[in-house]
Amino acid sequence: MGTVEYIQHHLTNNSIGEGFWTLNIDTIVVSLILGALIVFVSARLGRQLSTGEPGGFQNFVESILDFVATNVRDAFPGHNPIIAPLALTIFIWVWLMNFMDMIPVDLFPYLFQLITGDSHAFLKIVPTTDLNTTLAMALTVFVLIIFYSIKIKGVWGFTKMFLFHPFGKFFIPVNIVMTFIEEISKPLSLALRLFGNMFAGELVFLLIALIGGTLAVGAAALFWAPLQIILDLGWLIFHLLVITLQAFIFMVLTIVYLGMAHDESH
Amino acid sequence: MSESNKTKPDAERTKPPGAAANYLLISAGSIFTSMLIAGFIVGYMLDQLFDTTPLFFLSCAVLGFIGGIQKVHQLTKRLDPPLKEKESEDDQKS
Repeated sequence: MGTVEYIQHHLTNNSIGEGFWTLNIDTIVVSLILGALIVFVSARLGRQLSTGEPGGFQNFVESILDFVATNVRDAFPGHNPIIAPLALTIFIWVWLMNFMDMIPVDLFPYLFQLITGDSHAFLKIVPTTDLNTTLAMALTVFVLIIFYSIKIKGVWGFTKMFLFHPFGKFFIPVNIVMTFIEEISKPLSLALRLFGNMFAGELVFLLIALIGGTLAVGAAALFWAPLQIILDLGWLIFHLLVITLQAFIFMVLTIVYLGMAHDESH
Repeated sequence: MSESNKTKPDAERTKPPGAAANYLLISAGSIFTSMLIAGFIVGYMLDQLFDTTPLFFLSCAVLGFIGGIQKVHQLTKRLDPPLKEKESEDDQKS
């Protein structure tokens, strides 16, 4: 397998169906497993909560809760009990999906090929390197933005936003188009930022994996293999910051956009 | 969900989102890019609707570009309040 084929193979989803109804099975299964993991761990921890001397894991979860609650207080001007749980879910779920990038790129595809017996079986285990995942999450947030905009501002208030913003009452047709563009840009920027960062990160991991793989033959491996280890470790540490930052940005922008939907002056 | 921003007093409700806007600054670049892309998308949809390719496609892209610059300007101008204070002090002196 050549270099290009190797990269293309790793960046192709295992999918069924055709056209619009193509379902990326690996993305769906991995994201569902991670979602179920959150539910399972939360339920288990919920049963074992202690107020006296909390254990290490409870302390860890409480610190994440504190962190998210502080961000919601800072960035959300109104009061809505659904925002903090939503932000927490988004942060942890996106972080876990991003964390799949830390697993060696060849491990799961190789195991999957062994299990299925098909040496060309596709498997992409990082759901956030699939635009469908990030766009689906962003669209869910977008639906909430529209829902709360109409709920808080009323139908007329929401329509007024389209008619008189940003150029005033003399440019109503331009205002309508402009506000449409503005609203559509919200989910787009959410989805594309996360997808772009994770896709690029995965690609760099693949390129580093190629150093010790197809490029190293014979004695040259003695030089290339340690180089691969050093580069992989460096990128892994850096990428650990990137995945956390991207999960944080997705969460915080969700709060900010929903905060703007709750703010009648916007 | 029953309580909303409506229950807050006017002064508190209309205050500018301080920390929230700072967080938006993180993504000023992608907001600009996505405004441009959204312009292309809206333009493409309008062109499909009215069969006017590429009239709306291009004009909405220009609108998206202008909107993107406007948004980034709105976000970044908050970064420079000391200069405005200084200017107003200079005005008062003169």
